[in-house]
Amino acid sequence: MTCELTLRDVRSVARIVNLAHRFNCRTTHIQAAVGESTTSASFAFDGPAIALTRLRAQIDRILEYETVA
Amino acid sequence: MNGAQAVVAALEREGVETIFGYPGGAIMPLYDALYEHPVRHILVRHEAAAAFAASGYARTSGRVGVCCATSGPGATNLVTGLLDAMMDSVPIVAITGQVRTELMGTDGFQEADVCAITQAVTKRNVLVSSADAIAPAIAEAFALARSGRPGPVLIDIPNDVLKAAVTDVTSPPAKPFARRGAGPHVSDAAVRDAVARIRSARRPVAIIGGGVRADSVELYRMFVALLGLPHTATINALGAAAPGDPSYLGMLGMHGLKAANKAVQRADLLIALGMRFDDRVTGKPERFARDASVIHADIDATEFGKIVSADVALHGRLDDTLQALIDELSRGHVPRFDDWAAEARLLGGALPSDHVEAHVLSATDVLDRLFAALPPDAIVTTDVGQHQMWAAQRAHPAHPRNFATSAGLGAMGFGFPAAIGAKFAHPAAPVFTIVGDGGFQMCLPELATLRRYDVPVKIVLIDNHNLGMVRQWQELFFSERYSATNLADNPDFVAIARAYGIEAYRLESPADADHLIERFIASRGPALLHCACHPTENVWPMIPAGMSVDDLMEARG
Repeated sequence: MTCELTLRDVRSVARIVNLAHRFNCRTTHIQAAVGESTTSASFAFDGPAIALTRLRAQIDRILEYETVA
Repeated sequence: MNGAQAVVAALEREGVETIFGYPGGAIMPLYDALYEHPVRHILVRHEAAAAFAASGYARTSGRVGVCCATSGPGATNLVTGLLDAMMDSVPIVAITGQVRTELMGTDGFQEADVCAITQAVTKRNVLVSSADAIAPAIAEAFALARSGRPGPVLIDIPNDVLKAAVTDVTSPPAKPFARRGAGPHVSDAAVRDAVARIRSARRPVAIIGGGVRADSVELYRMFVALLGLPHTATINALGAAAPGDPSYLGMLGMHGLKAANKAVQRADLLIALGMRFDDRVTGKPERFARDASVIHADIDATEFGKIVSADVALHGRLDDTLQALIDELSRGHVPRFDDWAAEARLLGGALPSDHVEAHVLSATDVLDRLFAALPPDAIVTTDVGQHQMWAAQRAHPAHPRNFATSAGLGAMGFGFPAAIGAKFAHPAAPVFTIVGDGGFQMCLPELATLRRYDVPVKIVLIDNHNLGMVRQWQELFFSERYSATNLADNPDFVAIARAYGIEAYRLESPADADHLIERFIASRGPALLHCACHPTENVWPMIPAGMSVDDLMEARG
């Protein structure tokens, strides 16, 4: 599973990696560029399908909670 | 104005009247700002109680609960309460002091990286780095705590920032979040699909969850009444049904009522509203409501398909969703399900209970008598364990805000401080907490809080000299190997309450139950009713963890 994310809070990169570890997924790629007010990050994860689904849902929740219009 | 005064001013702007907390070194400037200030600070006796009291305040009022603590141990003691609020979608703002900026990273006295620690238990946290940033941070925290799916937000403020002068005194923007507004628009096509499924269903059942607390109770009652729909509630939605509604089947789940669980299992359509298919509700998801298609409404899109697949997902605020469903139904044929509702009711029967000798106090009997005697506007909180389930089975609250319990997290020690918070939110309402002997001992010092503020919370202590729920599982699933659950050496709780200056009643005989309960309820101030109950009475019915309603147990053996 790959994700291209725009994050308001750079700490969310670490949070996402921690969640992947918790769900028994392997983070195979991380790239992050910190801008003026957002961070562009790309991730790739390996793992069981159910774990990847749960990880994606948690990432969506993180994005929801840090979204600023 | 310094940073601490900016905190208090920002709280005032948010309409905060009461906060729960405990002082300490790093947060002393905030306590100085609170001194003789109209924002009322309630001193609890452990920071965990501050978070639970804020939760009780928020759960029963719909307003944001506020708690505060100092750095290090003060902040870490809030963590369980924050997670509890996260699990049950309760809006809380926690304010923690932090060591001086220059000390951060030096393993300074009472230093903890509270933002890292609480990242997983808050919707968001922020370390405020300047006094000017305090007001916008607090405005944003309140907006985020309330918006969408509510939850906890933490603001960590270093001691030097609390003491620093604010240079920009302009007010923060009133709406820092566009998301503060209406929320996602419920899809018209999904609403039409849902209504088509309702019209063609033969055995639909509605399940209401904690989402109903978001001002949706009246619309929910209209929706189920419009259809004559049999319906059930998760523990966070007890009180959603209109009083006396014959189509209401009671609580769903592991210790839910048989009619509710059986009806859901027989349903051909589930209308799941603001609920998240927790494992205590579904048991084994693959065997849960196997014949039903699912309409799932939630404010949190990540809930769709997380545990149970939704055939129709209604993403939006629950009040908007219910209004849209009612409107769409009203444009055409409105089916009635009264016959199915009557049939569903017959799937149940009386609540099963263990036989307890006539001269011994039965917890279920005490709670039956208590709930029969409670005033209709009573607010009840519970702790966690057997008494929680017995209470949830028997409670008939007037509104979901009249029943508060730690549902998702199941945090022992919640019930008593949550009742204190509820009482501060509703000074005129009678507030009761039902606790067990295990959980009560996790928050005994809060008796001092009751005494100090003369808070007339009534404590019903179901004392069975055991960690009863764990003991029950040991009996049923661990070959009666009762490891670390015997509390035969409990203290004299009546003496403890009296030592704190709290009126206390000792109930030991069933013959005394009615008149002691009556005296207890009528007592003027804070009071404890100590119920010396049978040690091995179990909670029935029970669907064992990871099983389905087909495996429902109604008694021992």
